[in-house]
Amino acid sequence: MDSDEALLEAWPGVRIDRDNIEYYRALLDRRLVVARCRDCRTWHHPPRSVCPRCWSRSIGAEPVSGRGTVAFSTIVHGRRGGSAGGRLVAAVELDEQEALRIAALVVEADQAAVTPGTEVELTWLEREGRPVPAFRPVAGSPAAARATAADEQAVQEGASS
Amino acid sequence: MSPARYPARDQVAIVGVGRSPYSRDRQGCTPGSLVIDATIAALRDCGLGAGDVDGICGSMVAAQYVQAALGIPAVTWFANPPAVIGNQIVAAVAAIASGVCDTALVYHHAYRLPWASAAAAKDPFRRRSTVGMADSRSFWGTGHVDNGAGSMFGAVPYAAWAGRYLHDYGYGRDRLGLVAINSRTNAVSNPDAVYREPLTMEDYLDGRMVREPLCVYDMDVPIDGADAFVLTTAERARDLPHPSVLVHAATLGHTDYGSEEQLRDLDHAGQVVVARRLWEISELGRDDMDLLYPYEGFSNIMLCWLENLGFCGRGEAGDFMVEHWDDAQQRLLVNGRVPVNSHGGSLSEGGTQGSGAVREAVRQLRGTLAERQVHGARAALVTPGGFYFNSQGMILRRD
Repeated sequence: MDSDEALLEAWPGVRIDRDNIEYYRALLDRRLVVARCRDCRTWHHPPRSVCPRCWSRSIGAEPVSGRGTVAFSTIVHGRRGGSAGGRLVAAVELDEQEALRIAALVVEADQAAVTPGTEVELTWLEREGRPVPAFRPVAGSPAAARATAADEQAVQEGASS
Repeated sequence: MSPARYPARDQVAIVGVGRSPYSRDRQGCTPGSLVIDATIAALRDCGLGAGDVDGICGSMVAAQYVQAALGIPAVTWFANPPAVIGNQIVAAVAAIASGVCDTALVYHHAYRLPWASAAAAKDPFRRRSTVGMADSRSFWGTGHVDNGAGSMFGAVPYAAWAGRYLHDYGYGRDRLGLVAINSRTNAVSNPDAVYREPLTMEDYLDGRMVREPLCVYDMDVPIDGADAFVLTTAERARDLPHPSVLVHAATLGHTDYGSEEQLRDLDHAGQVVVARRLWEISELGRDDMDLLYPYEGFSNIMLCWLENLGFCGRGEAGDFMVEHWDDAQQRLLVNGRVPVNSHGGSLSEGGTQGSGAVREAVRQLRGTLAERQVHGARAALVTPGGFYFNSQGMILRRD
């Protein structure tokens, strides 16, 4: 999507600004990009206008491989709680750089088998017609499982419960 | 070794404490009314009036609102720093010690917003109270906060860090359970606490799972209530009715990894900075403390405080809880002597992000509590806040 106006219209309610606009522009094309210093090549997230390592103001938004590991995660249960499962929210540490993390849902997973160190890869969900980045255990991982109805439901929920 | 430069040491006293009672079923209050209850009570506690106050420092309710509400004719200093409650106290101590003002009113309130509970959501005034309310984007001053279902925001990352902690050090949930039981046992002897029924480990392990591994007993209890404090110079404090409680040392702490999912590891939490700084500027050491108030609004936060403050090493707090557990009393007594969160903490007295702990520490050091008084207590260590945004600490001592 080329026009900034159209992009803003595509994400009502999100406070898109000059620092984060490329992140949201890429999401619409199902691409995950992360802010990266054009000078020293250090990544940072969330996107800001300066490199925290070298203070360069030349910051680009570059695609990442989408591969990473779960750094830490929690299963969020609804008010009724308990055994029915919930949504699995994780801080995924991207392979690109140590401690560079994206918070996202983990789907297509045996939730109880997801632990720190579980290898995951990028996948996409839809919320209100817009792509949302998520992760799933890589094929062959003991935590990999088929998609469930809970996966679909999870993305529709808010973050406040 | 002499302590680091800290000219404010023992220069400022907490002379007044006041509260608006903590409650889970209160009607008719507003954030403003809660703060007014507490600030008036704090001023009456030390016999001061509106004309004696020349500084105001609160959390969410604007200092200017309180000034107008109480008819405080003139102040030379005011502030509304965001972190509770050390941010307000550190600021007030700095303002008084440097002479920007002499006597400061400090306060914090908790008000159950509609998403705090089903009961709160039913109250039409609570629903209306969010009109115009700033969200997390305002705090950061930037547009980028993922507020979707996959975001690490609020309670979710604390639960995730709790899971990482149990995973890394091989503990079961029972070690978190000891934190919850300790707070509850202490709350039993606090008539002002909202949860006073004893809690057993069986109750804890059966508790409704909310965000794994944290169950309903691991998370602070939403209440309406407020605490307020009057701070003034140590010199003036000696002319006021209560024994003076001095701010011996107070600090904030933050690192450049200071957000939820980006926090590198627990060794980079703000708590580490707080602990290092507190022990640098304090003339008192860990063994001089008669009372400990490590924040436990999420139970795992308290375990990390114990480690970062040096009571044990990284990953050892789960075992520390067992080693210092008094089985007969069903609570933690460090070295068989020092109670931890003697008022019941945020888990059982009520969730006010640590302002309840400051109030309790002051009252304990005055020596005027009934049942739960720690006799002869001279020093208290109060460390509000979690891993990011709000790690804070203070050492209070009897003059």
